[in-house]
Amino acid sequence: MKYQQSTGELVSPVFRNLRSYLGTLVGLSLLDGFALWFIYNLLADGVWFLGIAVFLVTLGINIIFLRKDLYPLRWISPGLALILLLAFYPILFSVYSAFTNYSDGHLLTKEQSINRITQDYYLPEDTETFSWELYRSENGNFALLLTGENGDRYWAKPDQPLEALPGQESPETYDGFVRVSRAESIKYLTEIESIAFGVGEEGVRVKSLSSAAQLQKRFVYNADIDAIIDQKQEIVYYADGDLGSFLSVTGTELFPGYQVAVGLDNFTRLIKSPALSGPFLQVFLWTIVFAFISVVSTFMLGLFLALVLDSPGIPLPKVIRSLLILPYAVPGVILILIWRGLLNPHLGVVNLTLMQWFGWAPAWFSDPFWTKMGILLVNLYLGYPYMMLICSGALKAIPQDVYEAAEVDGANIFQKFFNITLPYLLISVGPLLVSSFSFNFNNFNVIYLFNEGGPPIPNTPTPAGHSDILISYTYRLAFAGERGADYGYAAAIAFVIFIILSLITLFNFRFTRMWEEVSENV
Amino acid sequence: MSKKFSVLLGVVLILSFVLAACQPAPAAEPVSVEEPVAESPTEVVVEEPTTEPTTVPAEETVEEELPVLVIWSDEARAPVLEKLGAAFAEEYGVTIQVQQMGFGDVRDQLKVAGPAGEGPDILVGAHDWLGELTINGLLSPVDLEDKADLFLPAAVDAFMYDGVLYGLPYVTENVAFLRNPELVPDAPQTWSEVAQIAADLEASGVVKQGYIRQDGDPYHFYPILTAFDGYIFNVNENGYDPTDVGIDSEGGLAAGKWLEDMVTNGHVVAAVDYEIMHTMFEQGEAAMMITGPWALDRIRQSGIPYAISEIPSETGVGRPFLGVQGFMISAFSENKLLAQTFLNEYVATEETMLEIFAADPRASAFIPVRDAIEDEDIAAFGKAGEVGMAMPAIPEMSAVWTAFGDAINIVMQGQQPGQEAFENAAAQIRSAIEGN
Repeated sequence: MKYQQSTGELVSPVFRNLRSYLGTLVGLSLLDGFALWFIYNLLADGVWFLGIAVFLVTLGINIIFLRKDLYPLRWISPGLALILLLAFYPILFSVYSAFTNYSDGHLLTKEQSINRITQDYYLPEDTETFSWELYRSENGNFALLLTGENGDRYWAKPDQPLEALPGQESPETYDGFVRVSRAESIKYLTEIESIAFGVGEEGVRVKSLSSAAQLQKRFVYNADIDAIIDQKQEIVYYADGDLGSFLSVTGTELFPGYQVAVGLDNFTRLIKSPALSGPFLQVFLWTIVFAFISVVSTFMLGLFLALVLDSPGIPLPKVIRSLLILPYAVPGVILILIWRGLLNPHLGVVNLTLMQWFGWAPAWFSDPFWTKMGILLVNLYLGYPYMMLICSGALKAIPQDVYEAAEVDGANIFQKFFNITLPYLLISVGPLLVSSFSFNFNNFNVIYLFNEGGPPIPNTPTPAGHSDILISYTYRLAFAGERGADYGYAAAIAFVIFIILSLITLFNFRFTRMWEEVSENV
Repeated sequence: MSKKFSVLLGVVLILSFVLAACQPAPAAEPVSVEEPVAESPTEVVVEEPTTEPTTVPAEETVEEELPVLVIWSDEARAPVLEKLGAAFAEEYGVTIQVQQMGFGDVRDQLKVAGPAGEGPDILVGAHDWLGELTINGLLSPVDLEDKADLFLPAAVDAFMYDGVLYGLPYVTENVAFLRNPELVPDAPQTWSEVAQIAADLEASGVVKQGYIRQDGDPYHFYPILTAFDGYIFNVNENGYDPTDVGIDSEGGLAAGKWLEDMVTNGHVVAAVDYEIMHTMFEQGEAAMMITGPWALDRIRQSGIPYAISEIPSETGVGRPFLGVQGFMISAFSENKLLAQTFLNEYVATEETMLEIFAADPRASAFIPVRDAIEDEDIAAFGKAGEVGMAMPAIPEMSAVWTAFGDAINIVMQGQQPGQEAFENAAAQIRSAIEGN
């Protein structure tokens, strides 16, 4: 008993260090083992981009843990690793995609594309079709007994010429092979699928459970001229490295194409697109107005409620606060859909009531102005609890003696609010307002779920809606184009939006710094 | 916290918002390469029978090489396939894995998993995915062999793309014209009649709306478009021709005019979605609508009297879009021959097709089962679909949905006359197809 209690003290500091060092090594080798396995799989799948990223992150973690001078970094290394892999990597990947033709029809690598195209077989004209029976040797080799349309029978083995067989009966064993029943042969289909029975082009391939024929490769890739040749129709499709497709002289395209870097093509396409000359400006302005009003309105309501709840004499402040926070706790998606229902002109409670009282109700979904009002209203409902929460916190941090001094000076309630509360509040809440602006700038959910960006704007060169903001407009552009989803183009547009938003954010930060300067004079 | 760092953090956050909102999941997360396997919520592995086939020498290596067929299926088909898979395993010693996922997820996940070699051998899906899947090289041809004649020709045609068959169809679905027989005793034959009946019903005040349709939605408008001899894409010998857009053809504009007149007279109102359209019909506040067999359950439950008939005509024939679902084979499958055999020998049979029908009653694409349907309503939908046109599977269709949907909305909201809105939609679609 005594001995056991003192074990900890018996271990010398050196040994303890060694032990923790060993622990680190064991932990790291486990991590590295896992990472290696992961990287190996990624590379095997051809995802080298991500494989390299995982490798670099793992390398970084190893360095951090093995070097004493980087000790403080240990504690944030898991967070850093996750940020790099889950936030930074996708961003890099998207930026990279913006310079490629990554889209429907160009999802594969060139190698995969060639593999896929050269996979198909065709049945040349005047070729005999056989029925077949499968034979299997002890060591797992296969042979076929073929019966032609006129009853001729052949014995077919890989890489050997067909051998005519006399008689009508199918022997149980032949040539060291045992006959496999029809039902049995089903499980060998995958194995015999890739075998040509016979020599070279004469080889017979199993086509289905009942037939086999001298199928020929429809497309063959010729690496010397970097082209795919259609054997059936004798057309040559040359690889076009700019488009990422195999093209014939007449311009016919083979599918699937492959991914290539296209430089600035996606960006020039965006600049030339009627989407930019058309409704872009209108959409852009509404985006700013929407984000700005959303921030201001939610902040005002949130602050008002925070002030009210903060003032003495309010009964049950905790209960009221909890109830007011509810919209924040319920998923926005659900709330937006509920609002859609409430505002519906045919069955919605709000509109039916308004109709009964005033004989008029706003067309929330068909009128451009009222759609925008509706969106702002819903967004106000969704956003005020957040503002109320941060304002409540920030209000507590304002020193009370300033108010007392103001009271001594005879300031009224408005003077106190505008000269003390608001400036103090904006110091701490200002950056949050900026991030709230950025959030609303890209608030796809509200726009899309409320009215899908509608009502549509008439006479536009590309589809656009009155309540579309940049991000929902982008969505329409990128996923309603020529051929389905165009990820490269979408990434390019996202990149441009990012630049615009960065500029606005930079400007906003300047603006909040101004408040801090004001605060120095308070 | 230094200001610089907070700026950096802000920038990172914003960028991630932008990118997250802009990219669909498979593209934004290259990590999802291994997702399909991890994500499939219910994976039922039908074990091989333990008894080894007697003719095969009991070598262990042979046992290990036995192939496994992976099927991606939606919820309604999965149980049927699992049962089939068990029988197949019992008989032939080939394991069948049915992985269940959302209907649309099958397509999205295949685009990621297929090229990575993680995808299924067989997938269950809709024919209008063909364009998207084939230009990405994800599908392998299917050969119905001697069973081809057992399938509805229109359904087989729907699964043809560039002259190649890519699917074994099992069900067709289309919209039909529904009316409340107590209010509208006889099925209207033309859309002018529909307008007249709507006017009479609304004037007498028995209903709010005589005829109701949901906003935008080219899918439900297509039968009206074709009734006036309009079209979206014209058909030539190769199928739909994306260079010939017919929304602003004479017939298309006539359909637009009809819609415009309905709106002017108050017989068609805006701000109606699927839910509201059905609720109003089920509450007796609307007397006529176009809907599909997927709504049968709720209409029956509501207890409202209903009758299903063919789409009214006008100068042309009211043709609904025909949607066909079927089994497809992945181009990245290593068991294509086996998959093909499973489909031809096991799925293309009357018993299986009956079970598929029982699990989710829709008009079967398998003629023996289609003819034997006793459900009158399903049969009525099937009848309305006889003049149907397969929904275009060409990828250019993606340019149509928004542009045409917007145009219909613009007319329904009274923002513009039908002619202008439809002409602009056609211009938008042509411009998108030209790659602008």
